[in-house]
Amino acid sequence: MSWPIYLAVKQLFPTGRVSFFTLISFLGVGLGVALMLVSTSVMGGFGHQIERMIIDTQGELQIHARVPLNESKAALVEQSLKASTAVEAYAPYAAGVVMLEHATKPAFPIIQGFDYDQMRRVIPLERYLTNGSMDDLDDDSIILSSLLARALGVSIGDKVSIYSPLMMERIKRNEVLLPREVRVAGIFHIGHQQLDSSTVLCSLRLMQDLYGLKQSFHGYNLRLKPGANIDATATALNEVLPLGTSALTWFESNADFQAVLSFERNMIFFLLTFIIVVAAFSITSSLLMSVVRKTREIGLLAAMGGRPRDVALCFCAQGLFIGVGGTLLGLGLGFLLLYFRNNVVQLIAKFTMGQDAFEHFYQFSSLPAYTTSKDVIIIVVFSLLASMLAGLLPAWRAAKLKPVEALRSE
Amino acid sequence: MSDPIPVLRSVGLRKNYPSGDATLEVLRGLDFSVVAGESVSIRGESGSGKSTLLNLLAGLDRPDAGELWWGAEATHKLSLAELTARRGRFLGMVFQAYYLIPEIDALANVLMGARLVGSVGNTERARATMLLKRVGLAQRSHHLPSHLSGGERQRVAVARALMNRPPVLLADEPTGNLDERSGDEIISLLLEVCAEERAALVLVTHNPSHAKKTNRQLFLKLGQLDHGQA
Repeated sequence: MSWPIYLAVKQLFPTGRVSFFTLISFLGVGLGVALMLVSTSVMGGFGHQIERMIIDTQGELQIHARVPLNESKAALVEQSLKASTAVEAYAPYAAGVVMLEHATKPAFPIIQGFDYDQMRRVIPLERYLTNGSMDDLDDDSIILSSLLARALGVSIGDKVSIYSPLMMERIKRNEVLLPREVRVAGIFHIGHQQLDSSTVLCSLRLMQDLYGLKQSFHGYNLRLKPGANIDATATALNEVLPLGTSALTWFESNADFQAVLSFERNMIFFLLTFIIVVAAFSITSSLLMSVVRKTREIGLLAAMGGRPRDVALCFCAQGLFIGVGGTLLGLGLGFLLLYFRNNVVQLIAKFTMGQDAFEHFYQFSSLPAYTTSKDVIIIVVFSLLASMLAGLLPAWRAAKLKPVEALRSE
Repeated sequence: MSDPIPVLRSVGLRKNYPSGDATLEVLRGLDFSVVAGESVSIRGESGSGKSTLLNLLAGLDRPDAGELWWGAEATHKLSLAELTARRGRFLGMVFQAYYLIPEIDALANVLMGARLVGSVGNTERARATMLLKRVGLAQRSHHLPSHLSGGERQRVAVARALMNRPPVLLADEPTGNLDERSGDEIISLLLEVCAEERAALVLVTHNPSHAKKTNRQLFLKLGQLDHGQA
């Protein structure tokens, strides 16, 4: 072992013990790394959960048509879908905005109509059903999202009125189209605020009636075969789909929402990097004090044949070792916290607002977590880099010391 | 019989320091030499330039003029980096304040001399152990400096200085922090081990009785070495 490394190790771990400076430095870097890991994993968990929800409710791919697809155009699209080796199943849908009314309470949700026999092979909707049955869904009934049902004050069997844009069109022609009265056949809960507060599911026939689509519809939801590449499949389909139709991945269909999620995640990551930066500054400060305290030792090393660059390496190595030790400690602590995250959440809920209130306001009882190797690599590299840079200034100061002056210092 | 070749030699060494608007001439064309196995003491009043001379001889500082020879090598022609690279093997140094590294034990401190110029293997470990035994610290080789007395720390420093078998050992007031008895013991030890290792000893001291134990006594006055005054 070269002497700068040997001395760096010995100064951090004097014979048989860990120095106080080393311990505090490890803790500083470790806490920063642990917090970054936990926060990115939890943010990733929410993102991953939302990704699953979107795929479960929309499919991995959607075929959008610029104008409603009539029978002949739909046949062309289906021909392309059947030819694709990556497509497992597909189901037509029609979607739009309507007004719902129940006991003078209005709501303006997005309504999606589909053929359930086809759609069940694409989207596992029954997984999210909390009340009622998908089998009860017919052309005179709807399924409401949980928060929407709560807002309207309806339950299974209640009647609600649907007002569609088609009625406005008819009024312009001095015709009156009465609102469609339907029965609530089920209530679903996905766990996604936006979807749970403004989504209505109905049969494709009902949706076609409401929007005056006749036999047309707006597109297809697609389920891909396991392992199929979503982006590659979308690209391949876009090359063969008829004009006026396009394949969009779940990510593209929800690009705005994904951008917000990604921005939030990056901001949290950015803010938490300051913890490590602060820890790095404290390492710099401690190592600078060490250089001052060890000035005569540094002079001695020079007097014994130690080169300035080796003296610098000794202090740089101390920064790096603190980085390595702190990062390992942080990763251990972070993964431990992630493992017991739900116990921590329950403990916080218990001492603050209570478990029920917590679930009511925050819409979750267990904290999701999803850690990617990319996140871990970024955290580790950043932490090591910050710690090593922290050792540079002290190293430079130590290397600049003149042996004669260092030996003379008091 | 021809004179033996000096292992350390300076010719016309000059060193000035600025002092306000004036220039303080500390060394004024100083000539000095020492041969292998010889011991030389240098005494002088405070501020006479003893430490400056020792720093120049050790290559830690550069003279304003003059020549410095380490054996047959003209070090005044070398850069500071080249001097540093050669110093570890050519010179051993003992200081008044010992300068042991507090985080490592006595044996590791002695081995630092070898680490700084190369690697540490069984040969080096054996020599460090032998040196510690020679300075009377065989039983304390695994003690940290903080657990050693002043005299014991200086013994470790002596062993460290001799680790790389240097032809020259420079000692700057090595007894300055010790009581009289420990000081006497250290001077005797230095003279004995230098003689055994055939190393030249240059001892800077204030103590006339210590100086008298060396082969040659010099007195630094007005920037020149006086051979006559004791």
